[in-house]
Amino acid sequence: MQQTGGPDPRRPEKIHRYKPIPVGTPGSPSDDATPDYLNVLGMIFSMCGLMMRLKWCGWVALYCSCISFAHSRVNDDTKQILSSFMLSVSAVIMSYLQNPQPMTPPWST
Amino acid sequence: MEADLNLDLPHVLFHYQGLYQESGVRRVRFWVPQVHGEDAEDNDVEDSDFADFEEFDSEESRERRVPSAEKHHSKQGPASDSKGKENINDEVQEEEGDEASVEEEDELEYSDFHDEEEFEGFEGGAPTGKSTPHLTIAKVPASAIGSRWDSYILEIMMVTGLVIYLTNFMMGRAKNARLAQAWFQSHKSLLEENFVLVGDDGKREVGTSGGEENPTYPLVKESEHIYTLWCSGRQCCEGMLVLLKFLKRQDLVWCISQLVRKQSDRLEIQFNLGQDDMDSFVWCIAQKKTAVRLVKEMYDLGTYCPERRLGEKFGLSSSFILMSEIPEALTSIVDSKVTATLNKLAHMVDYIHVSDQYSGPKNQGDGSSQTPSTEVKKVLICGFIVPGEGQAHDLTVIDSMKPLLQLSFYLLDKLKRFRLSKEGKQKAEKNRAKVYEAQMRQTHAARAEAAAQRREEKRRQEKDRMLQEEDPEKQRRWEEKELRRQIKKKQPKIKQLKVKSL
Repeated sequence: MQQTGGPDPRRPEKIHRYKPIPVGTPGSPSDDATPDYLNVLGMIFSMCGLMMRLKWCGWVALYCSCISFAHSRVNDDTKQILSSFMLSVSAVIMSYLQNPQPMTPPWST
Repeated sequence: MEADLNLDLPHVLFHYQGLYQESGVRRVRFWVPQVHGEDAEDNDVEDSDFADFEEFDSEESRERRVPSAEKHHSKQGPASDSKGKENINDEVQEEEGDEASVEEEDELEYSDFHDEEEFEGFEGGAPTGKSTPHLTIAKVPASAIGSRWDSYILEIMMVTGLVIYLTNFMMGRAKNARLAQAWFQSHKSLLEENFVLVGDDGKREVGTSGGEENPTYPLVKESEHIYTLWCSGRQCCEGMLVLLKFLKRQDLVWCISQLVRKQSDRLEIQFNLGQDDMDSFVWCIAQKKTAVRLVKEMYDLGTYCPERRLGEKFGLSSSFILMSEIPEALTSIVDSKVTATLNKLAHMVDYIHVSDQYSGPKNQGDGSSQTPSTEVKKVLICGFIVPGEGQAHDLTVIDSMKPLLQLSFYLLDKLKRFRLSKEGKQKAEKNRAKVYEAQMRQTHAARAEAAAQRREEKRRQEKDRMLQEEDPEKQRRWEEKELRRQIKKKQPKIKQLKVKSL
């Protein structure tokens, strides 16, 4: 489809600056709640890994942090992402320091 | 692995029976007949005192020593031999935890001892060599001998998975950035012909470049798969927001799900119109699946366009559904030119939504989904699908999307020119008044409910305070006051009843 032609449609006097839509409001470009859910899930798994010394929980938390990071918005708080990563990594490290034995695969028991 | 080695040394008879390797633990078993008591002491003395005469004495001393050793064995007798055998068995079983058989002594090994001519007066049987050796076999840690990495197979898998995920993240992110750049380069000339301002993030000075931190500028990255572009300075609209919603290629989990459920990249163009840029009406053309979703999500479509019609009735492809508040608005804007283009690009058009009451998607979280969450505005929103289901992404595919942007500009110009008839305007005003009234009723009811809740809460707090009050006089006064209030509250009803009964 070709344009209607005619006069120049541009109007310099009608310039409006971009107003970013606040994150969280419906209709905003990135109203995806996946990173938030995964962040919470990662925290829960990290705590389980630390408290109950479950190695697989630590690993799952690490994966949750990675997926949360992949889905995160550019304007998201980097501190939150970093803390989530640190918590999950510490869960893995602590669980192996306490018990260096390897994880037993579920099919071996 | 097993090997036998007999060493007949002057003083000690070694019998190196074998070297076992069982389940990663190597054990070396030595049978060393012990040299006891006087013989051993004699030997030591002899060794030290007559070391110089060793060569001359070797034959003689051997003759002497061997029988003495034999005597020692014979003294112990067969009973001790059998006991020793049992002890060995016990030790081996205890330490190894598995079957460990002690092999029968090969008599031929000690055939020298049966020589009656050489050993006169020797009556004992052949030495069995099964005395009790006290050897402590230390368990060698498996890690010291061999590698244990094979037991960490799950951990290796986890780390490998993380590496693969991060690699895919980098690749997916780069691909999405490349696609966004390709789209912008392809449409740049068209955008610059229509807008004074192409690209703005609301922070920088107009006309500046993005710098190193934003190489994709004027496209603004919202996340790794969403890019936005703001254009402004055109007639018929205040601005245009382009949303490039790519597939989440940076997420490996999502990529795997894409193998099962195919999805496509999307392009959403939203024109924000001024107050005078369009009349009051709402209509939408959408693919069947999208139409169902939009009616559920969008407050204006659900309220003003409850009816859905097939696109065939308007000369459109059968895959389209039409929703319109005022039919004349739809038929006037969707003319033959638009219809032909829509039919031609039906596989790329997801929906076209025109509304003067747009308030965004309903807020799914709270219960008040019947009222718009924000102020309404006049918009034209076009949702397009990038063909190829996320697979084919060369420049020809991106270029084939140019007519979609031209269609959007054409619709925008038509919206500006179109004006509703008098009947249409009246109908539109009536509809809006009805919706406004319903909203007010709803908000009034909600407000009244909230006020009642506040009152109730206040009364409960007062009651709690009075119950904790120590002064009984005060409590009695409050109770009386409360009683009077309740009676007063009931009085009008009683009066009304009385009036009715009269």
